[in-house]
Amino acid sequence: MLSGAELNEIEKELRAYSDRKMGCIGALKIVQRHRGWITDEALRDLAGYLEMTPDELDSVATFYPLVFRRQVGRHVILVCDSVSCYNVGYEELLWHLMKRLAIGLGQTTADGRFTLLPAACLGVCESAPAIMIDADVHGGLEPPEKVDQILNSYE
Amino acid sequence: MIELTINGRKVQCPPKSTILQAAQANGIYIPHLCWDRRLTPYGGCRLCLVEVEGQKKLLASCSTPAEQGMVVQTETPKLEKARRTVLELLLVHHPLDCPVCDKAGECELQDLAFKYGPSQSRFSGERKHEPEFLAAPLIERNTNRCILCGKCVRVCKEHQGVGAINLIGRGFKTKISPAFEETLDCEFCGQCVDSCPVGALGTKPYRFRSRVWFMEEQPNICPYCSVGCTTVLSLREGRIMRARGKDGVGINEGDLCPRGRFGFDFIESEHRLTTPLLRKGGKLEPASWQEALEFVAARLSEVKAKHGAESVGALGSERCSVEDNYMLRKFMSLAVGSNNLDSRARFGYHKQTGALKKAFGIPWLALDFNAPLAADVLFVLESDLTSTHPVYGLKVLAARRDSEATLIVAGPQETKLATWSSTWLRSRPATGVALVNGIMSAMLEGGLHNKDAEKVNGFPQLAEHLKKYSPGEAARMTGVSAEDIRQTAAALAAAKNPMLFASFGSSSNTKGEGTALALMDLAILLGRGPEALGMPPEFANTLGLQMAFGDEGKGLDARQMLYGNGQKPIKALYIMGENPAVTFPGTAKVMKALEGLDLLIVQDIMMTETAAMAHVVLPAASWSEKEGTFVGLTGKPQKFVKCLPETGLSMPDWKILRNLGTLMKAEMGAGNFAELAEETAENVLSAQLPAATPALTAVEQATTETTEDGYRLLLATGNLMQHSGSLTAISKNLGSAVSDAYLQINPADAKACGVTDEGFAKVSGKNGAVIYLKAKVTVEVPEGMVFVPTHFAHAGVNMLTSPPTNGEAPAVAVKVEAA
Repeated sequence: MLSGAELNEIEKELRAYSDRKMGCIGALKIVQRHRGWITDEALRDLAGYLEMTPDELDSVATFYPLVFRRQVGRHVILVCDSVSCYNVGYEELLWHLMKRLAIGLGQTTADGRFTLLPAACLGVCESAPAIMIDADVHGGLEPPEKVDQILNSYE
Repeated sequence: MIELTINGRKVQCPPKSTILQAAQANGIYIPHLCWDRRLTPYGGCRLCLVEVEGQKKLLASCSTPAEQGMVVQTETPKLEKARRTVLELLLVHHPLDCPVCDKAGECELQDLAFKYGPSQSRFSGERKHEPEFLAAPLIERNTNRCILCGKCVRVCKEHQGVGAINLIGRGFKTKISPAFEETLDCEFCGQCVDSCPVGALGTKPYRFRSRVWFMEEQPNICPYCSVGCTTVLSLREGRIMRARGKDGVGINEGDLCPRGRFGFDFIESEHRLTTPLLRKGGKLEPASWQEALEFVAARLSEVKAKHGAESVGALGSERCSVEDNYMLRKFMSLAVGSNNLDSRARFGYHKQTGALKKAFGIPWLALDFNAPLAADVLFVLESDLTSTHPVYGLKVLAARRDSEATLIVAGPQETKLATWSSTWLRSRPATGVALVNGIMSAMLEGGLHNKDAEKVNGFPQLAEHLKKYSPGEAARMTGVSAEDIRQTAAALAAAKNPMLFASFGSSSNTKGEGTALALMDLAILLGRGPEALGMPPEFANTLGLQMAFGDEGKGLDARQMLYGNGQKPIKALYIMGENPAVTFPGTAKVMKALEGLDLLIVQDIMMTETAAMAHVVLPAASWSEKEGTFVGLTGKPQKFVKCLPETGLSMPDWKILRNLGTLMKAEMGAGNFAELAEETAENVLSAQLPAATPALTAVEQATTETTEDGYRLLLATGNLMQHSGSLTAISKNLGSAVSDAYLQINPADAKACGVTDEGFAKVSGKNGAVIYLKAKVTVEVPEGMVFVPTHFAHAGVNMLTSPPTNGEAPAVAVKVEAA
């Protein structure tokens, strides 16, 4: 069951489109914002609401890496691995994060606090190396220990 | 017409064609993998690239419109290089497991690689190593071989209207899969398998059974519903290995449903009869043909001498050929001297022929298979055409999809057509007559009817009658709002080419002759004739049987023979290819009638519940083991062929009857099949449909049994897309898709009755019958209604149904409890 708040937001989103299907990406994002990730059940309900078949919506959901079809932590850390970041300490930063959180890429900490994922480019090459936690970009993480302070502010 | 030049040849094509279509229409081959005649162009595989003069880029011919004066090249060194590269890229991932792939030999990728060069790619890359998906019934998936053309996805969604599979994931990991990577659970029509250009989708019954080049192809007419599809059989060493639809072949042009694609294996069932059986000491024992036929001849003469020829009856079969049924009629009149001849069509097809006679004065309908495509408003009443006549139902879907016609579906069940409809009028079960009356009433109220209809016989009476069914009153009876009824009336009246659809099967108990008649009245009020009716006969040869049996009313019909409505009960019954103990409504009465017979002769291909009660059982050869003629919904005869040897000692039905008749000293003729076919063509199939003369008849909504305390749910029976009558119960293939009866019940009712999903339910009728069924809790049925398919003998659904009154077995009230 989609919640009232979710439905409200989705309805607002759909107003921008002539066909309900067209709003499916926005709708997925809304549900993800509310629940953290897209469960099978949520996807099935949403598909019905958007007049799509579940497989059709799943094909969209599985296409986009930032639509999470598996449970993620309360906060998702995207580590930029594109050329600029790579050149100025991506590897050290990733290594530090993995050690500090005791997880690898694609994994979630045991307390469900963080999920670590790679990202192709965050578009902030000027402040490489960079990560993005939820909706916030954090750059200039050189040396990698700089990240510790930042992590503390995400509970 | 557009004129263009392809490979230096001036060719023509109709407007709105693509370059690929223009080329194909003129016999010019352009390779393609992702294009399908039935689907919107996708432009994914890049193999149909062509060079167009004045265009720098290569264009995908499947999605580029042909234009006047275009100059196109389809085979140039540049194109060959481009195609070779595409193939090389596909072969990076595609495994070269052709030696163990069932598709090898008819694989489009294999053929193109052979044509354009490389069997190995210059590139190297990863290959997928997913295990095969074998958990689902009938359809296997091997995602490693998939080239991601998406044809199966589009056939499933666009053409079949289902949407069970899709491209899941992204990039290299993408695979064809149901949502959530669940096990495939769909209609199992297998259309995706036929559309797959490689071996990524296959049918499990054919898995590793043969190499394609060892098999012989034999098109044959499908033995199930009245559409009369051509199913292309692949034969090897006297067995059917598989059945496929082939693009452009037959009336279906390559489309098939689960029955046509997978249902062929019934002929190999272990329940097939291999020898005549005679009841000796209470048990059926094998006997020789001579013994069995002499027994029948002697006992029939005995009954005749004792009770008169009119005490002998016969039931023909909607599945046997025209020739078989014609021979049964001949046998009954020449050898027995009785006119008591009927069939299960009495409870199905006769609902509509009875109405046709009253409304148009014609004995049957000859449907134009493609007529739905030309209709602009399609009205479907309480019928799921996509499950009763799946390939005909596709035409209704296509009309909605391609020409954006208005599809109005009325009925309680959430069928595939309902989900695709423009308007779904969710009426209460078995209120079709009231709904149609309401629509007609709204038309007269608004003066929307065709004024010519006022001159038709019966108009004043109908107009008077319809006052009782004002939209408001109809709304009260049907649960559809008066506004919707008025809008439907307006939509139908405004239509240039409206069509009215309903299927009248012997197992569907919510529609009767009245329903058909009301729809025909509506057609007349719209100023239309029989051409506006989309009412297909039920089985492959229902119409042929009707033709072969000819004029009625001379003898007793099935109601009189089996339900004690006859003045004088019959003493002997000859049943050919029918199973009344299961398929006729009101099992208790039928059983009593069968048990009371002095002589029961059952001629069938398999050991049925009825055959088990017989005094003598005669083994008949089945479809594909004999030749004959079916007459399907178009009214045109179609020959089906013999391509297998008969099972055991079985014989074609006509031959058994001829031999028996000859033994009884009747002049049966028919020295061989050709002679019989000639005689049948002359006497039966030459019949011309008379011109229609419309007449209007007022129809009252039959009151469905009051649902008083306890018995508050209305039981609707019907059929499934995967099954046909009780015959398909012996098809292992179809059994693997749906193997048992179930009770569909609305969540609210389920809660009230204490029934849980997948739990067992006790269903009792007011007649005292009790059956147990697995419950499927679903919103597909509305509150107050339960639905059960009738195909499965052991479920005994017909114990609950009522014996037919006026050619119809009405919906019954039942009590449902947790069991």
